[in-house]
Amino acid sequence: MMTDADYYALFEAYAQGELAGPARANLEARLAADPALSLRYADFTELTGTLRAYGQHQQARQQLRTLHTAMLAAEAPEEITTKTPLTHTVNPMLRISRTERRLRDFWNGHRATVGVAASVAVMAVFATLLGLDIYRNSKVQPSLYGYTVLRREMDKLKRNQRALSTIITQGPPAAPAVNTGKFSGTGFALTSEGYIVTSYHVIQGADSMLIEGRDRQRYHAEPVYSDVKHDLAILRITDKKFTGFGRLPYAIKSGQADLGERVFTLGYPREEVVYGEGSLSARSGFEGDTAFYQVSIPVNPGNSGGPLLDERGNLIGVVSGRQNDAQSAAFATKSSYLVRLVDSLDAAKPEAPYHLPRFGHLAGSGRPQQLKKLQDYVFVVKVFE
Amino acid sequence: MSRGNSTSSSLSPTDDALIAAIRGGDERALAQLYRLHWPMISHFVLQNSGSEDDAQDVYQEGVMVFYEKVRDGSLELTCQIKTYLYAVCRRLWLKRLTSKSRFGVRLLDEEEHGSLLNTGAEEDLLAAEEQDRRFATMADALQHLGEPCRSLLEGFYLLDKSMQDLTTEFGYTNADNAKNQKYKCLVRLKKLFFAHYKEEPI
Repeated sequence: MMTDADYYALFEAYAQGELAGPARANLEARLAADPALSLRYADFTELTGTLRAYGQHQQARQQLRTLHTAMLAAEAPEEITTKTPLTHTVNPMLRISRTERRLRDFWNGHRATVGVAASVAVMAVFATLLGLDIYRNSKVQPSLYGYTVLRREMDKLKRNQRALSTIITQGPPAAPAVNTGKFSGTGFALTSEGYIVTSYHVIQGADSMLIEGRDRQRYHAEPVYSDVKHDLAILRITDKKFTGFGRLPYAIKSGQADLGERVFTLGYPREEVVYGEGSLSARSGFEGDTAFYQVSIPVNPGNSGGPLLDERGNLIGVVSGRQNDAQSAAFATKSSYLVRLVDSLDAAKPEAPYHLPRFGHLAGSGRPQQLKKLQDYVFVVKVFE
Repeated sequence: MSRGNSTSSSLSPTDDALIAAIRGGDERALAQLYRLHWPMISHFVLQNSGSEDDAQDVYQEGVMVFYEKVRDGSLELTCQIKTYLYAVCRRLWLKRLTSKSRFGVRLLDEEEHGSLLNTGAEEDLLAAEEQDRRFATMADALQHLGEPCRSLLEGFYLLDKSMQDLTTEFGYTNADNAKNQKYKCLVRLKKLFFAHYKEEPI
């Protein structure tokens, strides 16, 4: 019985042509007759063939490797010659550490991705900031952060009115509902010819406006001039039947008022005229705006455009707004800006001249007497959009 | 094979001479060929987000395919050597890139695709891959064979040493002894090799 190893010895001898004639013929005959043996022979040739080819392959590979190094060496001969006399490296860029090499590979491979990601991040940040800014601006429109203008929205009033009208319908026949307008503020007479001052933000975006006095007398009015920066607006009564206010009880102060002066205002935060009192607490307004005073009068939406008067009954300002996060910090435009505005308008030769009240006659009388004279010159300004 | 009269699509006379010389075992011819086309491939790989080492790997692989086919005499060139090498290396590098990257890969080419289509590079590469797999299995089998069988077989088949040298090297008493040992090793190698080679899917 022959072992595998014996067969291999036989096969190798046969493949190398070392077998003698009869033995050779014998093996060839057996290979042709016995399929198992021929399979074994095929395996043997494949194995040895693969082994030899593998050896050649490795040799060729080695050959190419040496070729490559030889080529690189031939390519840069001057580099070698300049290097040999030097003991230190000339060019630090030639020596790249392993980490740096890896970083460079990473950067080369992912440069585009990194760039896209970075630009997306930057764009997202800016879009968020911009969006927030726009959102905030749209929410509290004309005012700054923390600053509330004091015009009153009439929705609450409307609700009351509706409640009232239902009561009425159950009893006597309903009176036609009065259109109360969208916003309201306060205004006061500037001259006896029918000019009225209020805050700009009260009439902002107005289609038409109504002036209503204490005696429920109503007049139509139109804006004559507005000063957005100092939140001032001048209206003129357009009704034909309007004849004039008569002599105004207060004078308009063109200078500055002093710190700590007792001041008061009249306004229409509700349907009824409301008196408010306090003192002048600062000579600049919100965020140091020198066009405004800060006063410690509790004011509410609807107070905007109301007159601010000192103890002797001189007009020193126009109520404009308040600060949300501070206790009773209200702001009023300084009257000097109003005077300046009127002067500039007067120079432009308007159809009805401005005659500013020069002398007040409120000084010396008690507060209730002052108010009695005053309240005829303070009005509700109702705005329709 | 046309000689000399057509240089554009078929082999140029220098290409022909080179191939003949390489087949004849002339190392200088191989070196000349190697040096001639290296800049092209290195430029191509570097341009397509590869490194110098990548270029060397790819180029050696490509020249290897060419060289083995030349030595076999099985090379059937329908284009210039330059185009053939470019097609092979391009294919190789594309394969590496796609295995590395998660995204689709687009190569920056200088040559037109049309000229690369009929070079036969594709089939040659497939054959070379199959061969590589076979060699890898063989290397694996040799690794598992253990000493001294491995050194004995490597000495005889890979390094072409004579039986006489091996007998003295491994300290066998005579050549027949060494031969018997070699056959035993061969049987063991056969089992290892075919066990691995056959079970892998093709």
